[in-house]
Formats: sequence, structure tokens, C-alpha cells
Amino acid sequence: MSRSDAPLLDARGLVKDLGGKRVVDGVDLHCRAGEVLGLLGPNGAGKTTTLRMCYGFLRPDAGAITIAGHSLATDGDRARRSLGVCTQDDTYDSDFSVRGNLEQTARYYRPRIDQPKERIDELLRRFGLEAFAQQKPDTLSGGYKRRLMIARSIVHSPQLVFLDEPTTGLDPQARVAVWELIASLREAGLGVVLTTHYMDEAERLSDRLLVLQAGKVRASGAAKSVLGDVVGEHIVVLPVLGLEADAAAVTKVQDWLSRRGQKPAQVLNDWHLPFDGPGLAAFVAAFPELRYEVRAPTLDDLFLTLAGEGPSS
Amino acid sequence: MNSYVPALAWQSWEVLGRHLRVHVRNWYTAALPPVCEPLILLLAFGVGLGQQMSGLRWGGTNLDYLHYLAPGILAYTAFMSAFFQALFAAYIRMHFQKSWEGQLTTQVRLEHVVWGEALWAATLGTFYATLVCLVLAGFGFFGLLHLHWEWLPLTLPLLFLAGLAFASVGLCFTAILPSMDHMSLPFFLVIMPIGFSSSTYFPMPDLPVLNQILLANPLHHLAEGLRYLLVLGIPTWHLPAAAGLCLLMLAVLIPLDLRLLRKRVFGDG
Repeated sequence: MSRSDAPLLDARGLVKDLGGKRVVDGVDLHCRAGEVLGLLGPNGAGKTTTLRMCYGFLRPDAGAITIAGHSLATDGDRARRSLGVCTQDDTYDSDFSVRGNLEQTARYYRPRIDQPKERIDELLRRFGLEAFAQQKPDTLSGGYKRRLMIARSIVHSPQLVFLDEPTTGLDPQARVAVWELIASLREAGLGVVLTTHYMDEAERLSDRLLVLQAGKVRASGAAKSVLGDVVGEHIVVLPVLGLEADAAAVTKVQDWLSRRGQKPAQVLNDWHLPFDGPGLAAFVAAFPELRYEVRAPTLDDLFLTLAGEGPSS
Repeated sequence: MNSYVPALAWQSWEVLGRHLRVHVRNWYTAALPPVCEPLILLLAFGVGLGQQMSGLRWGGTNLDYLHYLAPGILAYTAFMSAFFQALFAAYIRMHFQKSWEGQLTTQVRLEHVVWGEALWAATLGTFYATLVCLVLAGFGFFGLLHLHWEWLPLTLPLLFLAGLAFASVGLCFTAILPSMDHMSLPFFLVIMPIGFSSSTYFPMPDLPVLNQILLANPLHHLAEGLRYLLVLGIPTWHLPAAAGLCLLMLAVLIPLDLRLLRKRVFGDG
């Protein structure tokens, strides 16, 4: 494997118990330069714990993590010098201004960054923070706080960045602005590991997805293949409540699904039924009189499927 | 890993530098209490209350209350300001400001954050004690206090060590207090018992049981050691006793602080 092909993040067999419970159980993950890895899963799946182990906040109980060729366990300082972190919460230093935050964060790294003033000026410009440079971060809007958090995470020019739910709580315009920044990090050749609850965000930004469920890897790969593996190829949307619903037909469908060992996911008035090709053909043949919609699966269906399976699956 | 090696690491000193930068920016408000408090105490109690008293019998000599009180305030300042900083201010940084978490996502690790907090608390305690020294010098200038001034600068390293030791007690409470609502507990459990059984503000009665307790109180040795040194110009065994007890506290409490804070911050036993 050539140096450029070597993963910036190489984590193998990660295990972590917290409060007597296994939160992460044998997770492997990798991220290369210029790649965005989306880490998905329902609440409690182990995303944040996995991420925290990868950036050295938590020590894994088992497994090994290498960042840009440096072991986090035995060469922690150099590994940490190669990575940047944007946490889920705003963990900027509220005692400093926006510029002061970038200056102070830069001081927490050795070797020191070259020409720190120029680097910070460039980041303020690139992240649209110039006008707020002397303001305290607490006075910024949610979107600009997130910009500051991402700028802090790359002030020391790392090779790999961890972004833990970077757009949670933002309005659509601010989300798009953050997406553009994340895309620019990828274009600049950084490896990006991203966790998010927004499926459109994961789909737009990620080159690869890793889906966690109950602390284990449930599926990984490109979005389409992950969906195929976990959800299926087609989603039948069947109205089961309200004016469009046909109660008698719904009972028949329920019996048919039970015989196949399939459980419907209900979203408001509809059932969302995932099928592969033969499954869809069987459904169409079994219920020729029913009115329903067939569409391609989305990552939202993935979430519904995982949530429906429960944590013990 | 050795709990004490990270005290010398650049990360710990960068954390200390961060606190110093914030403090220097607010120096005018930050320096006011440590100047005003001893000034008011010396005037109100040392001069005011002292005039109502016939004097104290201490160290085989008669002493007016102002001279008794001055070294006590010096010791109490190092104790109180270091403890308060390591407890209250560190808790706010850890729990509310989340600045610890921000530091821990860089090359700074928990042991550096903890040492940075302890070193900062000791530095601030020593700085405040220096301001008290200046206030005492002002009383000397006006002829109200007659101390062995030549010893005053030499007390600062011991006050730094005491500040470090008391900071390690404060950090222990930072690790275990469930919420801000419980912040008064260490004041009742530590500050008041240690403070009132320490000969800082008044001499202790000569009771056998109390004498045994006083032997284990580093603040008592610090106050008495400073008093003998500054009032009589005599270095006594109280000074090495204070240093020894402070070193013992650091030996026991720093590893405990690290263990408890690891659990608190990471949720990790």
C-alpha cells in the first residue's frame, strides 16, 4: 500500500464498556485523505463513544487506533497533532474572543503552527468570521458558533478532522453553509469523519457510510449499497390510517407480512414496507387491488429500520 | 503513568498560561478583593478590635492583636484563594464553560488540565499573598506594624507549596460534587474546620486533644511558622512541618484527583 493510500484513521476491534454496559463492541473504521466517512446510527448506537475513542478522549478497553501512521496509545502526542475535533457541544473558550479562541487553541499544539497570525487571519476570512473576530463567541448565532468550532478544529492544519453532529440545531441556511465548509475540507485533502442524524446531510457529504447499531457495525460502504444491505431495494408506502386506508385490506397485508416474518414501520398514517425485487413482485401479486406508492429507499428508511429492530438486534 | 511528571509538561504550563491570560485581562477587578480584604480585616480587627484588647500572650511574649493577625492573614490568603480557585472556578470551567472538554480535544490530556488548574490556583494564591505582603508593608510604612521584613520574600515559595496542596483538596471536591447546589459543603467540611483550628485569627486554647489535631493541620503550622518568622524573626519547626504536610497532601491527593476526575469527565472508571 502506498503512503497516500494508507488510511489516515485506522481503528480496529474497538471495544468500550461504560457504566458496566458494552457501548462499543468490536468496531473497525477507516478514513483516507480527501474522504468523508459518515458514521450513522440511532441514539445509543455508540457513535459518539466510537468517535471519542478515535480522537483520544476515551481509552478503548480493546482495539488499536492509528492516526496518520501514529498509534494513539503509544505515540499519542504525534497522533493528536495530526487530528482535529469539532465536538457536538460548543466547547469553545467563552473567556476569549473569536480570534482569541483560535490563538489559544493553536497554543495547545506542538510543534507550533507556522506563522500563526497569518493562519488565523486566513481561517477568519475563509469561515466568514472576520467581522466577529473581536466578539465573544457567546454573542454569535448558532451557525457562526459552529463555524468557529470547525475553524478551531483545523487551526493547527491537521490531516484528519472529526465532526460530531456539526449541524445539529442549525437553520437550513446555516446548515448549507456548514456543508460547504465540510466539502471544502475534503477538497483540501483532509480526511473527515462525520456523525449526523440528518440523513440528507450524510447522503450529500459522505463518500462512505458506517452504520452502527447497539455498538456494532451493522453495514458499511457507499450509501446505495448500505441501503440495499440494511433496508432493501424498494419501499412500499401504504396508507393504513385516514381516508385513503382500507381497513380490511390492511388486516390482510398484516397477516401476509406476519407469515413472511416482516414487521411494518409506521410513519404517521402510512406503513413503510421495505422489499427486495422478488419481495416486491410477491407483494404486487398478492395485493393487485391495493393502492400504494413504490419508491427507492432513503437513509431515513435506514433509521426507521434500525429503530424498528431495536437495540438488541 | 506517574501522576507528577505531567506537572512539568508544556501542556500543563499552557493551561496555566490560559488562566493567566484571562486573569491579566481582568486584573483591575481581580486584584481588588485580595487588596481590600486584608486591608479591611487589618483595620477592622487588627486596629479596631485590637484597641479594645489588652494584648495576647503568645510565644512567651506579649503581642498586640494587629501583630498576631498579620501573619495569619498571609497564611489564610494562600489557603483560601488556592482552594476557592481549584474548587469553584475549576468546577465552572469543567461543568458550565466546557473549556476542559475543548482543551481535551487537543494535545492536552486530563493530567495536564488537572496540573494546570493546581499550578494556577497555587500561582494565584501566591500572587494574592504577595498583595497581602504589600498591604502589610503599607501598615509598616505608617508605623503600625513592625515585622522582620527581610523574611517576607522568603515566605513566598512555602506559600506556593501550601497553595498547591490546598488546590489538590479543592480539585478533589470538584471531582465529586454532584452540582453547584452542593458547593457550600466543602466550605463547611474543609474551609471552616481547617480555618478555625489553625491559629490564623486567634490563638488556640491549650487542650491536649486540640493540640493533637493542630499537629495535623498544615494551615496551623503555616500560620504559626510565619508568625514566629515575621514577628520574632525566628525560623521554627512549624515551617518544615507545614512543608512536609503539604507534600504529604500532594502525594495522596493528586493521584486521587486524577482518578476521580477521570471518572467525572470521561465517565470512565
